[in-house]
Order: sequence, then structure tokens, then C-alpha cells
Amino acid sequence: MKTKPNALAQGFIRCHDCGCLVKTADHTQSCPRCDSHLHARRPHSLQRTTALLFSSFFLYIPANIFPIMNVNQFGAGESHTIAGGIIELFNSGMIPIGLLVLVASILVPSLKLIGIGLLLLCVHFRWQINARKWTVMYRVITFVGRWSMLDIFMISILVDLVNFGAVQIIAGPAATAFAAVVILTMFAAENFDPRLLWDYQQYL
Amino acid sequence: MNSINYDACPECDLLLRPALPEIGEKAHCPRCGFLLSKPRKQSVERTFALSIAGFILFFPANLLPMVGITIMGNVNTGILLSGVIALFNDGMVAVAIVVFLASIFFPLVYLTLSMLISGHLYFNQPNRYLIGWMRWMHHLDEWVMLEVYMLGIIVACVKLMALAPLKFGGGLFAFIALIIITTMLTGGLDTRLFWQRIEKLSKKNSYEN
Repeated sequence: MKTKPNALAQGFIRCHDCGCLVKTADHTQSCPRCDSHLHARRPHSLQRTTALLFSSFFLYIPANIFPIMNVNQFGAGESHTIAGGIIELFNSGMIPIGLLVLVASILVPSLKLIGIGLLLLCVHFRWQINARKWTVMYRVITFVGRWSMLDIFMISILVDLVNFGAVQIIAGPAATAFAAVVILTMFAAENFDPRLLWDYQQYL
Repeated sequence: MNSINYDACPECDLLLRPALPEIGEKAHCPRCGFLLSKPRKQSVERTFALSIAGFILFFPANLLPMVGITIMGNVNTGILLSGVIALFNDGMVAVAIVVFLASIFFPLVYLTLSMLISGHLYFNQPNRYLIGWMRWMHHLDEWVMLEVYMLGIIVACVKLMALAPLKFGGGLFAFIALIIITTMLTGGLDTRLFWQRIEKLSKKNSYEN
């Protein structure tokens, strides 16, 4: 059988921080160039990603149920959930901005949860897949994650600007849950090691 | 260093001969398509210049008023930090901390680190902290969310336009300039070159001692 072209199979470890290659035969614990701890694959990648994915999944429920902000106008309070804010934008004719918020705060987080879940299943059950396409999916997930913070930043601006005794916007409990979902999924994606996708492919 | 003749793809771990693309070209991993390196003209000089410009712009972007709103004769203007304080006063401490870190603290640290690193490389000054700084900058990259904040400003303004007239202040223009500069900074940063230069400098330093 032909040896795998993986660097690890050929006896090299790539330093995660500076990209320098080290021979496994040297038995060093730290990178000779940048002194960071060496590991061939991210340590406990699957366990950590699974834990972070589950916690963000459970936080995603309150993030969508509870109001993300409350608008008080002359004594009358009105609360908005994430979906409610988008519907309001559509109703007032702001279609492009509504679509932008729809993508950033509903499609991206939910597709990200599903995507990371699929990546984990794929590695766990050693599915034989087109690893290149799955790596591209991983890359999209890591790139797109931070843009969900859009909603949180928007609320911080609204809460600050609309604060006149009679008219007031107050952040709701869903904001904390949503921010936590975004950050935990970012950590989950960061902890997943895409090289695991390639490790179990037999045709390589 | 006997492993210098090889390179590995960080995303699929393919063992490679190091691609040495010309300036302006890109090298992708043949197996998974990862962008391996993208050398830029005068990466050190440009990074140094851009990070100084970014550092200077950071202060007007944070201190001058960004957006103002008038309701019933009352004017309310906001800056980056006032949004954080408003969230804090509403009792949303965790969210306030996240917004503070992603929009004020991490960008400042990132600009400072890239200024320090490229400055040391530009003047060929060895420093034992260079490696640590470089590692920190590598990890911070993802958490600098200025461009996301800009999108947040746009959406907030669209929502507020229906409510009351808006006024845009100098802080907003400084902020936009800051985003353009940080984007150019991260795009032009040649991590590979920086690590090679740092390694060379630290070797030179250890010979002298």
C-alpha cells in the first residue's frame, strides 16, 4: 500500500501558531521557532467541538423565543424578537436590509449549527465523502460566523441613541443568549480540526 | 533545521514542497484548495505604515460623535463607548463586555501589536517578545469585528431613519477610514515572511550575545 501523503503519516507535525514543520522523531513538546505547544491535530477536537455545539444549540432556543429588545413609546411597551424585527423591516419596505438581517441573524447561526453537526458526524462515523467539498464548507463556516454579531452591535447603537424619557429602547434577555450562541459557535468552529476529515479517507 | 524543505497544508495536512510564488501571485494547496501564501510587495513597510495610520485614526473614530438623532428637540449623539455604557446600564453586562472587546479593545490591541512587530522588523531590532506578539496577533485576527460593527451601524440607521432625522458626525468618517485601513492591513500581511524575518532576527540576536 502506498503511504498516505499526510505530513503526520510521513513523520512531520505542523506548528499550529507559526506553521513551522517539526519531525515527530525529534520528540519535542514545543515548536523550535515560536515555542508554542506542538500537537499534530487540535487536542480533543471532537469532544470540545461537540460540547460547544450542544451548549450553543440550547442557547439558540431562548435567543429566538425571548425578546431581543423592548421599545417603550409614551408608556406603551412593545417587545421584538429576532424574527419580529426582520418582519417589521420587511413590512416597512426595507427589503434589502431585511434580507441582510435575515441572513446574518437567522440563516447563518442555524446553518452553522447544522454544518458543524454534520462535520462532527462525518468524522465520528468516518464517512467516505468528497473531503475537498467538506473542507470548503468548514472554511465558509469559519468565515461567516463573526457576521452574526451584527444584531448585537445594532442593539448597542439603538439602546444608546434612542434614550429620551418618553421614547426608549432597552435590550432584552435574548441579546445575551444570542451573543453567547455566536461566540460559542465561533469557538466550536475554531476547535474543529479540518484535517480529521482527510485522515479517515481511504481512497487517498 | 532539516525540515525546511517541506511544508504542510494547515487544513488537510498534505505534505508539500514549499510553493514560492512571485509577488502578486497566490499559492493554493493542490488537494484542498487552501490559500497557502500570497506574498505582497513590501509587506513589512506597508504593514508598518498602515498600522501607524490605523493607530492615529483609532482616536478620532472613538472620541468624535458618530451618529446623532433628534427627537422632540433633544439631540442624542453616540460613540462606540457610549453604546457599551448604555448596555451596561441596562444590566446587559455580558453583552456590554463582548461589544467592548470586539469593537474597541481587540482592534486597539491588534493595531498596537502589528505596529510593534512591523516596526521592529522594519528597523531590524530584535526583541524577545516578538514571537509572543506574533502569536497573539494570529489569535486575535478573528475577533476584530470593526467591519461587522459598520454593518450594525447601517442597519441601526435604516431603522432609525423612520423614527427621526439623523446627523452623521466626524467620528463616523474616521471609523470608515479605520475599517478600510485595517482591511488593507490584514490583507497585506504576509505571515510567512513575518515569521521568517522574526526567526532571522532572533538568530542574529543569539549570535551577538
